[in-house]
Amino acid sequence: MKRFNHFNATTMEEAVNLLNESEGPAYVIAGGSDLMGCLKDNLWMEAPERVINLKTIPGLKEINVKDDGLHIGAMVTLTEVAESDAVKEQWPGLAEAARRTASPLLRNMGTVAGNICQENRCWYYRYPDKIGGRIDCVRKGGKRCLAVPGDHRLHSIFGQVKKCIAVNPSDTAPAFVALNATIKTTKRDIPIDEFFSAEMGAQSTILDRNEIVTEIVVPTPKAGPTSAFNKIAYRKSIDFALVNCAASITIEDGKVTAARICLNGVHNNPRRCETSEQMLVGKQLTEAVAKEAGELAVAEAKPLLQNIYKVQMAKTIVSDTLLDCIK
Amino acid sequence: MNDNPKRLIQLTVNGEIQTVPVESHWTLSKVLRNDCGHTGTKEACDEGACGACTVLIDGLAVPACMILAVEQEGKDIETIEGLSVDGKLHPIQEAWLEEYGSQCGFCSPGMIMTTKYLLSKNPNPTDDEIKEAIGGNLCICSNYEHIINAVRSAAQKMSKEQTHV
Repeated sequence: MKRFNHFNATTMEEAVNLLNESEGPAYVIAGGSDLMGCLKDNLWMEAPERVINLKTIPGLKEINVKDDGLHIGAMVTLTEVAESDAVKEQWPGLAEAARRTASPLLRNMGTVAGNICQENRCWYYRYPDKIGGRIDCVRKGGKRCLAVPGDHRLHSIFGQVKKCIAVNPSDTAPAFVALNATIKTTKRDIPIDEFFSAEMGAQSTILDRNEIVTEIVVPTPKAGPTSAFNKIAYRKSIDFALVNCAASITIEDGKVTAARICLNGVHNNPRRCETSEQMLVGKQLTEAVAKEAGELAVAEAKPLLQNIYKVQMAKTIVSDTLLDCIK
Repeated sequence: MNDNPKRLIQLTVNGEIQTVPVESHWTLSKVLRNDCGHTGTKEACDEGACGACTVLIDGLAVPACMILAVEQEGKDIETIEGLSVDGKLHPIQEAWLEEYGSQCGFCSPGMIMTTKYLLSKNPNPTDDEIKEAIGGNLCICSNYEHIINAVRSAAQKMSKEQTHV
C-alpha cells in the first residue's frame, strides 16, 4: 500500500467536503475489508491521496424498526444484522444472507452498506500488480476481456456488460433486491433496482465518487416474514458465492400475489427473475410451480463453455429458495 | 504530503497504553508486530482470509491485517500475549496443549483468539457452532479435529472455573 493522508470525519457533510476538496483520488473507509484488499493489490492503479474514516461519524451504527420498515445505518456490521432478533423475525432472508457472507471475523468488521458496494472478484481484473505485472482487462481500460477466451468458470452466464463478464459477488445484494430496499445516500434516495450498474466502468454501483451511502431502508413485508436466502459456494465459510438467490413472496388466501426473486453471482449485476415472478402470481406455491419458476429463471441463460454447471445451480437454487420462503 | 508522515498514536494493547509512531497506511498487524513487540499475532495471507492475525478489538474478533492502525486509538486491543497471567496459562491455552491443538502452531494465536470470542458469546457451543465460528481461521496442517476438541475442552474448563468462583 502507498502512503495517504488519513482523515476522521465527524459528519457526513464533512466527509463529502473532504472528498470534494481532494486533489487526487480519495476513498471513504467504513469496515475496510473490501477497500483494504483493493488498495493492497493496487487494483485501481492510483495511489489514494486521502482516505476518509466514516466510523467516527456518530449515529450511523443503529438498526431501527420504524413504521415504514427496517432502517440499517451505514456503519452497521454484517454480524449485527445477522444476529439482530428483529431482522431474523421479520426479514429472515436478509438475516441469512448476512450470516452467510464471508467469515465470522470479516463479518465483525465489514458493513452491510459496504457489502453491496463491493468490487467484483474476477481473477483477471484483480490479478495482483506485484506478481508479474497487472493484466489490462476491458474493465481497466484495456481492449478485451481475458476471461472469455481464458478461465471463466466463475463468470457470468447471462452474457456481458460492456464486454466484461465479471459477476457481482455480494451476498446481501440479492436479499435487498428481493426485499425491495431503498438506498439512501448523501445526495438522493435510490431504489435498489436502479442501484447496481456494471455499465459505470470500474465500479459496481451508480454512486458518484463524492456520494456516500448513509442508510438502507427495507420495507416491512405485508404478509408476514416470507423471505429466504440460499448460497452455493466451494467452501461454506469465507468463500464468495458461485450462485446465490434471495426471494420474497406475498401469499394471500393460499395464493401468491406478489414475488421478487433475485439471483446473484450469475451476471454483472444482481439479476431479477422477472418471468418467474410473473408466472408465480395467482398460483399456489407447490413444488411443481417452484420447479417451473426455476426453469424460467434460466431460460435466457447464455453460459460459456466452462460455466454451464452454473445454469443447473441457478435453476435449483431458485426453486429451493422459493420453497424455503414458506417453510 | 507531509515531510514527516508519522503520527504518534496511543494504542491500548492488553490493557497497557503504548505510544507508537505510525504512518496512516500501516495495518494494525504490522504495527503490533513491528512497533509494539507483539509478534504472537501472525501474518499469512494479508487479505483477511486466513485468520492468523486475529485479535480482539473491543471484544470483537477481527483480522488485524485489514485494519488501519491509526483508527484504533482509544480501543481495547487484545492479543495472544494478553491471555496468560503471571506465567499461568489461560484455560483455552491449557486446552490447546492437552488436546494437541497445535501442529506447526502458526494458526494457533488466531484460533485461540477466535475461540475466546466464541466462548465469550456462547459459553457452551455445539460442534456445529464451533465449526461455524472458526470458519474464518485456516489451519494449513489441517488439524481441525484436534482444534475442535480443544475448543470443546476449553469451554468445559471455563464453565467449571466459573462455578468454582
